Amino acid sequence: MSLVFDEYGNPFIVIRDQQAKERLRGIEAHRSHILAAKTISNIMKSSLGPKGMDKMMVSQDGEVLVTNDGATILENMQVDNQIAKLMVQLSKSQDDEIGDGTTGVVVLAGSLLEQAEQLIEKGIHPCRIYEGYETACKIATEHLKTISDSIEFSKDNIEPLIKTAMTCLGSKIVNRFHRQMSEIAVKAVISVADLERKDVNLENIKLEGKEGGKLEDTQLVKGIIIDKGISHPQMPKIIKDAKICLLTCPFEPPKPKTKNSIEITKAEDFKVLGEIEQKYFTDMVEKVKATGANLVICQWGFDDEANHLLLQNNLPAVRWVGGLDLEKIAMATGGRIVARFEDVSADKLGRAGLVREVGFGTTQDRYLSIEDCPNTNAVTIFVRGGNKMIVEEAKRSIHDALCVTRNLIRDNRVIYGGGSSEISCGLKISAMADDIASIEQYAVRAFADALDAIPLALAENSGLPSIESLSTVKAMQIKEKNPRLGIDCNHRDTNDMKAQHVFDTLPGKTQQFLLANQVVKMILKIDDIIKMGPGADE
Amino acid sequence: MSQMIRPPIVLLKEGTDTSQGLPQLISNINACCAIVDTVRTTLGPRGMDKLIYQSERQVTISNDGATVMKLLDIVHPAARTLVDIAKSQDSEVGDGTTSVVILAGEFLKAAKPFLEEGIHPQIIIRAFRSACELAKQKIQELSVDIKPENMREFLEKCASTSMNSKLIASHKQFFSKMVVDAVQLLDDNIDLDMIGIKKESGGGLGDSQFIAGAAFKRTFFYAGFEQQPKHIKNPKVLCLNIELELKAEKDNAEIRISDPTKYQSLVNAEWKLFFDKLEAIHASGVNVVLSKLAIGDLATQFFADKNMFCAGRVPDDDIRRVCRATGAAIQNTTSNIIPDVIGTCDLFEEVQVGGQRYNLFTGCTMTQTATIILRGGGEQFIDEAERSLHDSIMIVRRARKHRSVVAGGGAIEMEVSKYLRDYSLSIEGKKQLLINAFAKALEVIPRQIADNAGFDSTDILNQLRQKHAQGEKWFGVDIVNEGICDTYESAIWEPSLVKLNSIVAATEATCLILSVDETVQNNQAEQAQAGPQINNQTRQALSRGRGVQAMRGRG
Repeated sequence: MSLVFDEYGNPFIVIRDQQAKERLRGIEAHRSHILAAKTISNIMKSSLGPKGMDKMMVSQDGEVLVTNDGATILENMQVDNQIAKLMVQLSKSQDDEIGDGTTGVVVLAGSLLEQAEQLIEKGIHPCRIYEGYETACKIATEHLKTISDSIEFSKDNIEPLIKTAMTCLGSKIVNRFHRQMSEIAVKAVISVADLERKDVNLENIKLEGKEGGKLEDTQLVKGIIIDKGISHPQMPKIIKDAKICLLTCPFEPPKPKTKNSIEITKAEDFKVLGEIEQKYFTDMVEKVKATGANLVICQWGFDDEANHLLLQNNLPAVRWVGGLDLEKIAMATGGRIVARFEDVSADKLGRAGLVREVGFGTTQDRYLSIEDCPNTNAVTIFVRGGNKMIVEEAKRSIHDALCVTRNLIRDNRVIYGGGSSEISCGLKISAMADDIASIEQYAVRAFADALDAIPLALAENSGLPSIESLSTVKAMQIKEKNPRLGIDCNHRDTNDMKAQHVFDTLPGKTQQFLLANQVVKMILKIDDIIKMGPGADE
Repeated sequence: MSQMIRPPIVLLKEGTDTSQGLPQLISNINACCAIVDTVRTTLGPRGMDKLIYQSERQVTISNDGATVMKLLDIVHPAARTLVDIAKSQDSEVGDGTTSVVILAGEFLKAAKPFLEEGIHPQIIIRAFRSACELAKQKIQELSVDIKPENMREFLEKCASTSMNSKLIASHKQFFSKMVVDAVQLLDDNIDLDMIGIKKESGGGLGDSQFIAGAAFKRTFFYAGFEQQPKHIKNPKVLCLNIELELKAEKDNAEIRISDPTKYQSLVNAEWKLFFDKLEAIHASGVNVVLSKLAIGDLATQFFADKNMFCAGRVPDDDIRRVCRATGAAIQNTTSNIIPDVIGTCDLFEEVQVGGQRYNLFTGCTMTQTATIILRGGGEQFIDEAERSLHDSIMIVRRARKHRSVVAGGGAIEMEVSKYLRDYSLSIEGKKQLLINAFAKALEVIPRQIADNAGFDSTDILNQLRQKHAQGEKWFGVDIVNEGICDTYESAIWEPSLVKLNSIVAATEATCLILSVDETVQNNQAEQAQAGPQINNQTRQALSRGRGVQAMRGRG
């Protein structure tokens, strides 16, 4: 901070903790921002595309995480720099909104900033640069619309959706089985989707994972899987045509919420009390039994006495089921959650074709699987894998695929991947740039150059000579006027992404451009960093 | 007669710093100028943002003068005056906070050479005051009244001018429409709380939504919630301020039962109390129940069973907006729910916005409230967008009441400056020089706008002066084409109130600083200041300890 001197030539303090404040302004500030952002984007670059590599993150307490998902990587990096944090937020907002393309957006933002740096060095005002970017971004998003294709699908024809989900899973660890995985994801989304309102509540899809087994053992259960077993080992493990009673009250005599105490003075009284308690239990079991239920799922526990009684009455039960799981079961089976025994009735029971307890390998773990539910509104994807890291990563990948499918249901337009859309936009923007008469022309052209970063990184990660393949594709696009040509990452000897079935969703790509542009604009607009000294935490 | 050396008389506590006289005045002015330099670059459409890094978690990126000034944490007594005028401008009109600070700084700078030449500060103050009066009259005279039929256009232009310098400038058309829509919905007694701004990161700015009604984020919920209807046409809305949970009654009554079989009746009684409430709600025919307090799992399941929607722990301002939108009234009891307190609208639904689900009440016929859901990448981005929207809402709100407008882009300052310069030539005495200086200081606004945009400000200023001398009163800086243009024509409009207020506030602050010739500063505060970095608590503890010692010492 600049010092001010008083009449005796002594510096005096204008701002609290003046000495401790750091300040960067002007071009220095820009340089430091761009450097930080570039560093982040360089880290992410190698994760892009079908041949992108994974990152292993070790947390402070030694937990290991292996992932290819941009948002997850950035979230776990615990960055300190403010500008880098903006990049993390950027990736997170792409994740929240679209769920896919989290790496690409960061790479794009980094590349835009890199181009901006050169322009700033040339002496172009940062405002002019971002105004140019703004213009270019508008051209790009418009252009994306023109090169997009809409795909048709229905509940019965889900093939196009699967193709798109496969592109999304292409870069992930599950890509060996990506056909199977994307089928699972698409089917899951279709079964919970409200196709008329184009609304999908992803919360109705439960992702459950369990290490052990193989990735290809992953399955979609049209129903619910919960991490619980039947309460008594002698109860039946398979129940067909289950009528399920869902309880949120414990299997024990009711207690008033008001504090109470019981005083017993005579031995007879104690006996009576004991009998009454007994009666409660039998009453409860009878009431449930009377409704015709043949399975009880209870949010709370019950003691061995009740358990025994239930066994005697041939009423299998599950205890300690979490509230949200209970809700999902209720949704799937069409039952109502009952809060006290007085309200139990036949019409409140949920129905399921098959309820069975499943054990895995040699472990003691048991799962309860509720299948063939009347409402397919809730489904579970059960992920298996060799170890915990793989299961976790597979879950994340499937989540991405779910998001992509959801986006397609909302908006059925797709564009072609493999960097083809970026190349096409880049060409379009460069062509348009020549018509701009002001300084912004430079910035617009820089935007086009920045778009090349995506196909370049794709080619590089796939082991192709990056610049060579990019220029070849670019030339081909111009020659054939075919915006579907991209980088052939999978070495399939064709650059036509339509033939390769590499799709991206239109909103996803548009969003990437918009978000990256916004953050770049924000970073470019800062010309002054005022940093409070360490310790000043007000 | 030989004079004895008298011991000095100690008037003030030792270590108290006093400075006085002209040098003090000059140094105050210097301090103010240092502050002004910090915010200078944020002015105008090409103004830059400041990143203020307070701590690990708290980082602000802003272009708003008042916000920057507040966060700078200025301790210099004279410089603080500037913070105060920025704040007052913010609360009074909501916009123009940067320009008021810059103007004040420039007035002070203009006064400095006169002070150095020995002109008494009071003369300067008097001259500035009269110049300010004249400027006020001139602005009022120049301002163009808006006819009621052009109201909407006028408001939108004002809103978009205030957004020019902000991050959201590229979407100013979109947002200015939104802001005007929102303000128009409110009644004359415009309560800003009735415009809710929700922030949801993700998406582009263009995805922001305007809802003529109420919206809030889905609240915490219990099992059973998903079974409730999420799409209700013509809902009947009941707003409560009670807890719907099975809980111990708040009494210390003692009940003794001797017969164990009666036990069940006690339990039942408790249930009945609770279920009576729920039944009462159900009986009133409502199908959306909102409460400021918690709605427990039992109630949630009960409502799910009856095909009703409920949400507990709805934030206070959200529920007030829902009430305003639907015409419901908050109830503190479930007994006697009359139809008058039940609100309604066309549609209630839960929709996905970004990563969150929102409850929307739309199609409210008599709504006097609006909600804006802001979208954008990154928290800081949205925070700044919110501040910008707030500014322009304030502007529109003021403009709706004071329907006169002047041209921005430095045009009005140039015109007033020219008028004052002409006027100064018609009087004699020191005032002539001073008013002339005041007039020159006003030119700082167009100069700074041009500077920030990277133009040759001297060149632009000369062109402007020439145009204004020819009687073209609305010529200002043209940012797009690097030159000058008629800003009234190009629709850069600002409510005249903003300009009036900023010139008056800046003059007042200048006069205040000029009239101070002595600062008595308590030493202690100074030491805590310059001393090593200690956090606030220990600093307080230390100063308390120091206080005790000092007292002891004195005793």
